[in-house]
Amino acid sequence: MTVLVVAERTGGRLAAASLDAIAVGISLAGTTAAVVGFAAGPGARESASDLGQYGLARVLVADDPSLEGAPPCAGAASVAAAADRVGADTILIGGTTYGRDLVARLAVKWKASAANGVTEVTPADGALRIRRPVFGGRATETRTLAGPRRVLSVRPHAFPPPPSAPASPTVEPLARPEDPAPLLGPKRTGVEATAAGLGPSLGDASIVVSGGRGVRTAENFHLVEELAAALGAAVGASRAVTDAGWRPGSFQVGQTGRSVSPQLYIAVGISGAIQHLVGMVSSRVIVAINSDASAPIFRVADYGIVGDLFQIVPALTAEIRRVRSA
Amino acid sequence: MEIVVCVRPVPEAETRLRVAPNGQTLDADGVKFVLAGYDESAVEQALLLKEAVAGSTVHVVACGPAPRTEEVLRASLALGCDRATWVEAPAEFAADSIRAAGAIAAVVRSPLPDLLLCGKQGGDDESGLFSGALGEHLGLPDLNYVTDLRWDAGTSRFRFQRATEAGAERWEAPAPLVVGLQQAWNDPRTAKLPNILKSRKATVAKVHADPSVPPGAGQPEKFELPAPRTGAKLIEYKTPEEAAQKLVRILREEAKVLP
Ligand SMILES: Cc1cc2nc3c(=O)[nH]c(=O)nc-3n(C[C@H](O)[C@H](O)[C@H](O)COP(=O)(O)OP(=O)(O)OC[C@H]3O[C@@H](n4cnc5c(N)ncnc54)[C@H](O)[C@@H]3O)c2cc1C
Ligand SMILES: Nc1ncnc2c1ncn2[C@@H]1O[C@H](COP(=O)(O)O)[C@@H](O)[C@H]1O
Repeated sequence: MTVLVVAERTGGRLAAASLDAIAVGISLAGTTAAVVGFAAGPGARESASDLGQYGLARVLVADDPSLEGAPPCAGAASVAAAADRVGADTILIGGTTYGRDLVARLAVKWKASAANGVTEVTPADGALRIRRPVFGGRATETRTLAGPRRVLSVRPHAFPPPPSAPASPTVEPLARPEDPAPLLGPKRTGVEATAAGLGPSLGDASIVVSGGRGVRTAENFHLVEELAAALGAAVGASRAVTDAGWRPGSFQVGQTGRSVSPQLYIAVGISGAIQHLVGMVSSRVIVAINSDASAPIFRVADYGIVGDLFQIVPALTAEIRRVRSA
Repeated sequence: MEIVVCVRPVPEAETRLRVAPNGQTLDADGVKFVLAGYDESAVEQALLLKEAVAGSTVHVVACGPAPRTEEVLRASLALGCDRATWVEAPAEFAADSIRAAGAIAAVVRSPLPDLLLCGKQGGDDESGLFSGALGEHLGLPDLNYVTDLRWDAGTSRFRFQRATEAGAERWEAPAPLVVGLQQAWNDPRTAKLPNILKSRKATVAKVHADPSVPPGAGQPEKFELPAPRTGAKLIEYKTPEEAAQKLVRILREEAKVLP
């Protein structure tokens, strides 16, 4: 099996989600030699040394400046050309907004079977068997991807990171295979980093701390944010909070907000309405802090503290800071 | 402006999920199907654009089996869409979003509309494959995770935002374009009774999905529900400090989610 892993850069380095894809690639193909890296766009060359840190010996780069600020679909032809160049049968991408979009384009362009957000991948009689959460984490599906080619995105945090195994990869430039003119029509004109610019973004974070109506006022919300800062976590909120305007809509977790699946989700003063649960039940470990022992959130949580958040949260923040500095 | 909205019938959010007897899929028996939440936003977005740009029409399209597909199309007509096309296909066909996108592409290809809207992901399989597959089938750019879409008549460009890991991105793009909506933060309207009654008699054009469109999302093998969570292990404590210490110790040593 030959795997092409697509490297995505964020903030000048390899996205955490791309490491997940590398880890899965190595576990499937067995040796790093059968896993080839690919990076496109400005800065692609720098990705080669990043990929080398995980033992990838061969990296293709398409450092095409026209891909700066272009939509994800504009890069699909380059990825398909890279896959053909190395004879890959499988393309793996981190499950970010960029990666998920690319998977859909490649499924049609590269005539592959496809799945987004997989949490398990196993070979099965020449095909691949994948598992992924569906219905907001309320169920799991297993599918077989038959046929000679497949393209997958890997759900963030679902796999341990690949071991470090420094190598100096050969770097091969790849020319733009076709003129993507119509695909270059859309232009990104700006980015406003979310207020969580202080910490990781909701979709990326391995820990999320969310506050609900129990926090009572916009001013009190800093209690949630300080706990998140101590943990290096992203900040989320229930709809009660975003509806009240205490925090913007981009913080909302749930059916009409974001779905998150971190390693650790801490719900502070959130009752656990079904519309909130569907956005976070697939988190690995859930902690609830709520003064009402009968709140439904305690039914899905792994650990609970029944108590007043105004006492518990500051004590927890202090304890985290204490062990972190020890 | 000619706008196409693609909608997918999905089980109501409150549905108690059950596994079908074959163990491979959701048991759809007795399940009520409705417009997916993101699709409600997509329909609302289409109607807002129609109201903003004189002479626009909204064409709603869905691929799937009877009766659920026809029902969500009529619900969309009741909300204010101008016409509806039902691309009839078996449930297994339509559940594969790449295949559904191929079947719908064949129907909307000529003449190409100015805008094709869909949800960022279905409320059921959450495959997130449809907008990209539709764009690729039609040779058009697609942008997913979009919010706050507007038409700027001065520059003849769509202007919108995208919610990505980097934050809120601002974009502009000429027509024609495929857009998957994150959540427009719009407040989807509800249909008025007279319009619901009218929609029952409205014409829904029906075509059969081209069976030669190849599948793309693989074969379902197993559908599983998680073991019911047994409920939280509650931490006993006398002081908030004790509660904090006990929780941090558990998270480090037992759950191993903190270093
Ligand atoms: C179509 C639809 C879509 C929706 N989408 C979403 C969504 O995406 N996300 C979402 O979150 N909601 C969504 N909702 C709303 C959802 O139904 C709930 O109303 C919402 O999640 C409640 O937010 P909450 O838990 O913060 O508030 P509440 O339900 O009011 O709960 C507050 C909790 O705080 C606790 N509390 C109070 N004081 C303290 C204290 N001092 N210490 C500790 N605990 C305390 C209370 O015991 C209570 O459990 C949606 C609803 C609909 C109808
Ligand atoms: N069978 C279908 N018919 C019409 N639209 C669909 C169909 N499947 C998916 N879509 C659209 O694509 C969006 C994303 O679905 P998915 O890619 O399956 O997660 C949905 O919200 C719909 O707008």
